[in-house]
Amino acid sequence: MNLRNTSDLVRFVGFAVIAAGLLLLVGCGGSSNGGGSNGGGNTTIVVSVSPTSATVALGAQSQFTVSVSGTSSTAVTWQVNGTSGGNSTVGTVNSSGLYTAPITAPSSNSVTITAVLQSDTAISGSATVNFPAINTQPISVDLGPTGNYANGLFTTVRICVPGTTSCQDIDNVLVDTGSYGLRVLENGTTPLGITLPQVTDNTSNPLYNCTGFADGSFVWGPVATADIQMVGEKASAVPIQVISANPSFKTPSTCGSGAGMNDNTVATLGANGILGVGVFLQDCGSSCISVPSPAPSSWPYYLCSSSGCVMAAVPLSTQLLNPVALFPQDNNGLLISLPSVPDTGAPSVSGSMIFGIGTQSDNTLSSAKVYTADGCGNISTTYNGKTYSDSSTSCAGGSYFDTGSNGLYVLDAATLGQGIVDCPSSLGGKYYCPAQKVTFTVTNTGTNSTSGQVSFSIANAEVLLTSNNGQNAAFNDLGGVNPGAFDFGLPFFFGRNVFVGIENQTSPGGTGPYWAY
Amino acid sequence: MKMKVRATLAALLLGAAPAWAVLGEPVASVQSDQRFMKAQVREVAGEGYSWHEIKASEGTVVREYASPEGMVFGVSWEGPSVPNLQQLLGSYYAEFQKAAQSPHRRRGPLVVQTDKVVIESGGHMRAFHGRAYVPSLIPNTLTQAVVQ
Repeated sequence: MNLRNTSDLVRFVGFAVIAAGLLLLVGCGGSSNGGGSNGGGNTTIVVSVSPTSATVALGAQSQFTVSVSGTSSTAVTWQVNGTSGGNSTVGTVNSSGLYTAPITAPSSNSVTITAVLQSDTAISGSATVNFPAINTQPISVDLGPTGNYANGLFTTVRICVPGTTSCQDIDNVLVDTGSYGLRVLENGTTPLGITLPQVTDNTSNPLYNCTGFADGSFVWGPVATADIQMVGEKASAVPIQVISANPSFKTPSTCGSGAGMNDNTVATLGANGILGVGVFLQDCGSSCISVPSPAPSSWPYYLCSSSGCVMAAVPLSTQLLNPVALFPQDNNGLLISLPSVPDTGAPSVSGSMIFGIGTQSDNTLSSAKVYTADGCGNISTTYNGKTYSDSSTSCAGGSYFDTGSNGLYVLDAATLGQGIVDCPSSLGGKYYCPAQKVTFTVTNTGTNSTSGQVSFSIANAEVLLTSNNGQNAAFNDLGGVNPGAFDFGLPFFFGRNVFVGIENQTSPGGTGPYWAY
Repeated sequence: MKMKVRATLAALLLGAAPAWAVLGEPVASVQSDQRFMKAQVREVAGEGYSWHEIKASEGTVVREYASPEGMVFGVSWEGPSVPNLQQLLGSYYAEFQKAAQSPHRRRGPLVVQTDKVVIESGGHMRAFHGRAYVPSLIPNTLTQAVVQ
């Protein structure tokens, strides 16, 4: 026992928030009161434009209306970015407020529409027009930086020192719908070459994060803030984890599941980072707002100093955050779209991660069915007359869709039947090795009572993983044991559009969390 | 970036990870753990076995299944984080570690089956669950299905 003063058993240290880099850019549309008064009288003239903000597709039109009060001289002049009538770069607006967007977006990706009162040009109202962001992020399934990853879904993420152009592109980042927040290796294929501001308390003790995974592995390192950019989308000053190569502070015994595999190298992680873009906003959520007493057996956040690391309570806004929800637009979810692959596997395939749901023409739900998830992020699955689901008090048993799981991890061989058997133990990993491909049909049901049948296949993992001299990376039929539950891993995503509806965000599919396909 | 955080020194009091009874060891250790952890504990007598449910402070629920002779033959867990498996699995933890390093490493839930122990660890971030049992310690009148 190394506590110096037992009266400090639970010592809460409160700190002020200095939100560096957290400049709230409030949309500057809305009724702008010119402040001019009329001839010394008491009447205030107000010019307002509605809607106060709009997203207009390139080349499309949008009608704005003006309302003038406090004067009978209501004539206005319409401007775009201060130019009367606008121009081809910023778009044009006619005398009745009909705005026509340009064919290509201006560099700012937004413009301001202003209605200026002709009788007093100091008085005006304005609105903001945003153009759709480029929202299609390339993703690919290949063997990854270690050359042996089966069913790893990778992408390239640009991270920047917040508010600067000091940036680095991190390739081979695993796209993971089963976690939340960005984690990058300090010593990736290319070591991290930019210095990100660390998150600290007000005595400069750095905040560290430990993430434990189901397979017993963990990652450990400081929390820093970064701007995260993927194609035309950017999330600003996002708390991320930098996975330490040689941590300044020893990993606490309460980190993850104890002393499992430290995934702090390319060799052990199999990637340069993990991009957690699942249905939740934070990696931990309300569980981490306070440290319970007695101390938990495992905990994700620590404040570290020369005397060691102690468990830390962390407000939601400082936890590792799902960056998609922080985009200024296209932030209500995402779509993972991967092509079909042959049943024997493929060396690599390319697809798209499209941000937003129903926000642009490329991310409409279309015929996809929405399966609303429970508080665990799960739905239920029925197979052979038995339903596998969470209970009201437990998250064990429900189903989820996890690009970070590299197989269809479903039930066990005896329960599945139909010729499914475990692979020889020499293969490792408790995969399935049926003599022939087996196709299953199950029924998934969301908490919104949406229900639908879906099929998937499981083939012989030993054959799959060793065929083509082990050079195949993408398999739609790789499966393994997961007693009592369905983990629809990456194989499920091939040949499908799978939508991830983020919690508390609204979209044409309703309010998240939900899965749709 | 400065942030609003609160630290607790409670962890230091314990020095190491808090203890539960350990798979394959006598259940007597449960009682001392309970007093130490002040966790909510429920003891239930089943047919030919007993189990303790320990609700840990962070929300993780751990259940320990003991034979009439007082040996812990199975454990299970569920909650927002994976509990300290090194502690919970005791001498069987090495088997878990070995499996995590198998030639075709799985990404996702982990299942370990050796001639000594079965370990199943699944779920995703914020919703983990799993169980482990020692087949040779399960009373003859029972099957592994009681470990839930």
